[in-house]
Amino acid sequence: MQHSTSRRDFLSAGSLGFLGLTLGDYYRAAAAQAPALSNAAAKANAVILLWLEGGPSHIDTWDPKSNSNFKPISTNVAGVQFSELLPKLAKKMDKLAVVRSMHTRGNDHPQATHYVVTGHEVNPAMQFPSLGSIITKELGPRNAVPPHVLVPQWDRGRQYEDYFRASFLGGDYDPMCIPDPSKPDFQVTDLSLPKSISQQAVESRSAFLKAVDRRYRALSESAEHANLDAFSSQAWKMLLTPAVRDAFDLSKESEKMKERYGKDSIGQSALLARRLVEAGSRFVTAAGYHGNSWDTHSNNDTTHKDRLAPTLDRTLPALIEDLEERGLLSTTLVVAMGEFGRTPAINANLGRDHWPNCWSLALSGGGIKMGQVVGSSDDKGYNVTSRVVTMGDLFATIYKCLGIDYTREYMSPIGRPIKIANSLEDRTGEPVAELLA
Amino acid sequence: MKFLLPFLALPLLAAGLDSKMLSLKIYPSTVKLSGAGSTQQFLAIANYSDGVERDVTSETAWTLSHPNLGKLAGARLSALAGGSLNLTARFQGKQAISRVEITNAPPRPFQFGRDIGGILTKRGCNSAACHGGVKGRGGLKLSANALYPKDDYEWITKGGIYQVLTTQVAGDRVPRVNIAQPEKSLLLTKPTGVEAHGGGKRFDIDSEDYRVLLQWVKNGTPYGEEGMGGSGIVAFEVWPSIATLPVQGVRRLLVTARFADGHSEDYTHQVLYASNESDIASVNAEGLVTAHKLGETAILVRAAGQVASAVAGVIGPPIPGYPAVSPANFIDTQVFAKLRQFNLIPSELSEDGEFLRRVCLDLTGTLPPPARTREFLASTDPRKREKLIDTLLASPEYNDYWTFRFSDVFRVAIFANGLMPKWSTGYSEWIRNNIETNRPYDQVARERLSAQGYSPATRHFIPYNQIGTPPDTMAEEVRVFFGRRLDCAQCHNHPYENWSQDQFWGMAAFFGRMFKMGSIVVDHPVNMDWSSKDVDGKIELLHPRTKSAVHPMYLDGSAAQVAADANPRKELARWMTAHPYFAEAAVNRLWGYFFARGIVDPVDDFRSTNPPTHPELLATLASDFRGNGYNLRRLMKTITTSRAYQLSHRPNNTNRADLTNYSHSVARAVDAEVLLDAVADVTGVPETFATSVTGGASAIGQAPAGTRAIHLKDPDMYFSRFLELYGRPSRGAIPERSGKPNLAQALHMLAGATYVDRLGQPNSRLARMLESGATDDRIFEEFYLASLMRLPGADEKAELKQILGQRQDRTAGLREFIWALISSREFAENH
Repeated sequence: MQHSTSRRDFLSAGSLGFLGLTLGDYYRAAAAQAPALSNAAAKANAVILLWLEGGPSHIDTWDPKSNSNFKPISTNVAGVQFSELLPKLAKKMDKLAVVRSMHTRGNDHPQATHYVVTGHEVNPAMQFPSLGSIITKELGPRNAVPPHVLVPQWDRGRQYEDYFRASFLGGDYDPMCIPDPSKPDFQVTDLSLPKSISQQAVESRSAFLKAVDRRYRALSESAEHANLDAFSSQAWKMLLTPAVRDAFDLSKESEKMKERYGKDSIGQSALLARRLVEAGSRFVTAAGYHGNSWDTHSNNDTTHKDRLAPTLDRTLPALIEDLEERGLLSTTLVVAMGEFGRTPAINANLGRDHWPNCWSLALSGGGIKMGQVVGSSDDKGYNVTSRVVTMGDLFATIYKCLGIDYTREYMSPIGRPIKIANSLEDRTGEPVAELLA
Repeated sequence: MKFLLPFLALPLLAAGLDSKMLSLKIYPSTVKLSGAGSTQQFLAIANYSDGVERDVTSETAWTLSHPNLGKLAGARLSALAGGSLNLTARFQGKQAISRVEITNAPPRPFQFGRDIGGILTKRGCNSAACHGGVKGRGGLKLSANALYPKDDYEWITKGGIYQVLTTQVAGDRVPRVNIAQPEKSLLLTKPTGVEAHGGGKRFDIDSEDYRVLLQWVKNGTPYGEEGMGGSGIVAFEVWPSIATLPVQGVRRLLVTARFADGHSEDYTHQVLYASNESDIASVNAEGLVTAHKLGETAILVRAAGQVASAVAGVIGPPIPGYPAVSPANFIDTQVFAKLRQFNLIPSELSEDGEFLRRVCLDLTGTLPPPARTREFLASTDPRKREKLIDTLLASPEYNDYWTFRFSDVFRVAIFANGLMPKWSTGYSEWIRNNIETNRPYDQVARERLSAQGYSPATRHFIPYNQIGTPPDTMAEEVRVFFGRRLDCAQCHNHPYENWSQDQFWGMAAFFGRMFKMGSIVVDHPVNMDWSSKDVDGKIELLHPRTKSAVHPMYLDGSAAQVAADANPRKELARWMTAHPYFAEAAVNRLWGYFFARGIVDPVDDFRSTNPPTHPELLATLASDFRGNGYNLRRLMKTITTSRAYQLSHRPNNTNRADLTNYSHSVARAVDAEVLLDAVADVTGVPETFATSVTGGASAIGQAPAGTRAIHLKDPDMYFSRFLELYGRPSRGAIPERSGKPNLAQALHMLAGATYVDRLGQPNSRLARMLESGATDDRIFEEFYLASLMRLPGADEKAELKQILGQRQDRTAGLREFIWALISSREFAENH
C-alpha cells in the first residue's frame, strides 16, 4: 500500500461515479459479463504453467535412458524412475503424472514455442489465441484480479510474449505481463498509484477530464467511448481494491516460504503464481527461465546438473506442496513443460539440440490422475513407442479438467474456424483418458 | 383484399404527398428470348417530381400485344412460340412499352453444372454453412456455389465427405441417388423433409426443382455437357447496381446472366439472394428487397459458379433545395454524387485547426508545434491548405512516417528478416529510400517480389534464418499487393470465393525455386546440381492433396512460361503489377489510411462477398494512379486536397448515422506509435526506448535519445508497455491493428508511466512555461494548441480555471490538467 487512501474513502466520496458510472452499475456490468461458472464437470478452476523455456532434456529428467550420463533413481511410485538430477521430485511422484510421449512440431524456439502455446504452427496470415487466453475467456475473471498473468515478462523483444497473447479474442484476454518478482525493485506495472496522487488529485483529474472532453463528446458520443468509461471504472476498482494489489505483493510471504520456492526468478514467479491463483487468477505462466535457459546446445550435463535441475527440483515440489497445504491442489492444474525435448545424441560441444519428436512433461493437481506415467519412448528417447500425445490431446485434457468443451472452435476474423484443441493433420485433440482422475 | 392495403400504401407515402409522377419506365425495354419456355422478369419504375424513384412493378397493369406468343404471370413473361410482341405497362395514367423478340431456338442440352448445380445453389444446399462447407455436412460434400461440378457429380453419385490434405474420402460412401428407386434418392427425400434433414426442408415435392432432380435420376444421372465455370455463365449483372429506397420501401432486383456464346438470360428467379445486413434491408427468395432502417448493405446474389452483388441504400426523405457543393477533384464528384443519391448532405468544410490536425496526423504522423498552428490559423491565404499539403509531402516527417507505415506492411523485424540486425536494418533502409525518392510503387513491388542476391528486399523472404515456405510467402505477397486473402485455399478450395486449391499452389510454385545460399536468396535453375555443400537441400513443391509437383500458374489459371534457368518470381512480378488488382489494392490501402476505412474494408480483404462502397471511385483512383506512374505522393495529394477529405467532423441532421459514405469525417483512434509520439510532443518529455525492461540504460539496448516511436526500425525489439496496450501489432505476422479500448489501457492511463511519470519531469513543456512565469491562461492556451490544434473556448477556460482554483498546489493542478488533456478522447482520436 503506497498511498493512504482506502477504498472506503473513495466509495464515500463517490469518486467511482465520476464518469457517470456508479459502483452498482459496475457490479451489474461485471455480473452480466461473467460466464456461467457452475460446471459440474470441472475439477480445476485455474492453471499454473511452469514454463521450462529452452526445452529440457527429457532423458536427463523425466525419462531416464542409458544414453544419459545420469543414473536413474527410484521414485515413490513403484516401477517409475526419474533421473538422479530430480531427487526431491522423485519423492513427489505420487503427486505427478508424467507424459513421456509428447510428439509436437517446430524445430526452433520461436516455431516450437508458438506451437506448444497455441497448438498451431506459425502462419503469417493468422494469429492464434494462446491456451491461457482461451482458458481465461472460457472461465471468465474472478474477484477483480487480472485473470491471465505472465511473470516475468521477457527482457528483450516481444516475439515470445506475443505467442501468449489472445490475438483475435481481444485485449481482455491478453496476459498481464509483469516484471521479475525476484528483483529487489519489483513493482507491478500500472497497479499502484504513485504516492504523489492523492484523492484530491484523482478528483481534480476527473474534473479536468470532463471539462476537456465535454465539447467533443457532445459532438459524437460513440460506443467505444462508453466501453472506455466502463474500463476506467473497472481500472479504478482494481487500483483501489487492496486484495488485488495484495495478490501481487510478495512481501506478504514469509522469508521461509520464499526460500522454499527458491529466491531465483523461477521460484519467485511460481510463488507469485500461487498467490494470484489463490486470489482468483485463471491462468498464470511462471516463466522465470527466460533467456532459453534449458537450451543446452553446449555442456548439457553440467548445465542441467549445476544450474537447471536443482531449481526445477526445488520449485515444482514446493509449488505442489504449498498448493496442497492450502487446499488448492485439487482445483489448480499445474503443467511443467518446455517447447520441446533435446536430442538423445550428444553433440560436439557436449550439448544436446532441439527434439520435438519425442519428449516429456509433468502434470499435477485438479482433475489429473497422479502417480502414473503415460506413454513411452524407445530405449534412447528418439521416438515415441506407445501412446502418442499431441499438443491437441494435451490441450483437450486440460480443458476437460477445467470443464471446458474441448471440441469448441472459434471463428477467426478471416472466417476460418480455429479448434481450441488442435491436433495433428487437422484433427481435434482428444483428452488423454488415462490422465483424468 | 384488405390485407394488401398497407403494402400498397407505404411506398406511396414515401414518395411524398405533393410530388407528381413524371414518367414510367420499363426494364428491360427490349429483350431477346431464346425459344419457347424461356422467361423474363420485367420491372416498372416510376419517377416523381421530388426526385424519388419507385418500383411500381406490383401495382402496374401488364398486357401483351400477342397473347398467343407468351404468357404473363404478374410481370414475368414465359415465351410460348417464336415471334415479336410488345409488353405494355400501365400505371396511374402513364404507360411504357418493352419490345420482346422470341427466337425459334432449339431446346438447350442438359448440363449438370448449370441445371443441377443451379438448384443446389438456389436452394442453399451448397452454402458454406451447409454441404458447401470445407468438409461437407451430414455425409455429403458439395462445392460452394457449384464451382466444381465434376466434384459435385462425384459426391452426389458416390457420397462421402472431404478430407483436407489428402485425396481420400472420409466417412461412409452412401450415394445420394438411387437409380433403381429414383423417388427414394437421398437427394430428393432429404431436402423435401421426407427423411430427417439437418438443413430442414428446402423445397416441396410438387416444386419444379423436385421434378427436375427426379427426372435427372430417372434419366440415369447424366453429366451432360461441360459448361464454362460450371454453368457457362461468364458475367452476372444485377440491376440496379445501387438500389435506393426509403424506409419500408420495396424494390425488386433484376438479374441477367451472360453466357459464353454471347446470349443473355434472365436469372432473377434462379438465384439465391442474401443481404449482408438484413436489419438494414432484407431480401426474399424472389429478389424483392425491403428496407428497414437507414443505412447501406450489399445484397449478394449467387448462382451456379457465380456471385454478384448490388447495393441497397435505405435513404432518408428527399431534401428540398439540396445544397450545391463544388467538387475539388474527381473524388468529390463521385463521393458527392452518391451522397446526393442517398439524400445525405455533406458536412461543412472542416475548420482550419481541425483540418491542420487531421492532415498532419495523416501525412506525417506528427502534431505541429503551437507556433506553426498559430501561424496556420492566422494565415488568410486562400490556398493555405494546398500549400500546407505540399509542405508536409516534402517534409522529413513525411519520410519518417511513411517509412514506418510501409515497414509495417512489409514487415521489417529482426524475427521476420533472418534474425540478423543488419538485414532488417538494410531492408528498412531500402523502404526509406523508396519513400524518400518517391519511387513508383509498381517498381517497389517488382523489386520486392523478385528480389535476388544481395538486394535488401530479399530479407522478408527469410523469417528465422530460413527461407519462408512458398505457400506462406505467396499468400502474403498476394495479400499485400492484391489485397486478397487466398490463405484458405492452401488446404482446400476457398469456401466462399472462386480460389481453388490448384490456383493457390500454382501461385505458390512461383516461390518454389527459392533457396538461401549463405546470406543471399536465389532461385535455382530447374536442373541444378544439388551436390554443392552451400545448398541446403532441394526444394520440391508438392500439391498437398495430390502429392504431385506443382508448376507456376497465374491466379487466373493460365500457366506461366518460365525458362529453366530464369527467376520465376520476375515473371510473377511483371504479371502482378500489370494486373488491375494491383493498382486497386494499392489505392484502397492508401485510401484506408486517410479515411480510416477502405473503399473495400478491411483494405486487404477484396472478395465478391465484400463489395466496395464506391466501385467507380475505386476504379477511377486506380486508373489515375496507374496513369500517373504509380506516384504515391501524387495520390496522397489528390486525396488530401479533395473536399471529401477536408469535411468537418461535425455531422448534420442528414448524415449523423453515416459511417461509410464520407459525408463527414469519422473519428478514429490514433495508432499507438503516433499517439505515444504525440504524448511526448505535448508534454515535452521524449520517450526512451530500450530493448531491456529492467535496467534499460545500457547503451546497446537503448535507442538514441530523441528517437520517436515511428522511428524505430525494428520496433519488436523495443519493449513499450504503452505501445503493446494501444495495439501496436507484432511484425511476426501480417500486422493487424486493434484500437479497441481495454482494461489494461485504462489502468495504464490512470497509473502508468506514460501518463504519470512524464508529468513531473524537470524539462517538460510545463516546467519550462512555469519557469518563464506563464499565466494560467497562457498555459491552457499553449497546451490546447499543442494537443488539439485549437484554443480553449471562453466557457472551457472558465471551467478549467475554476477547477484549478480549487487546488492549493498550482503545479500539481496544472499537471492534472495535462493528464486530462492527453487522456481525452479529442486528443486520442483523429477526427
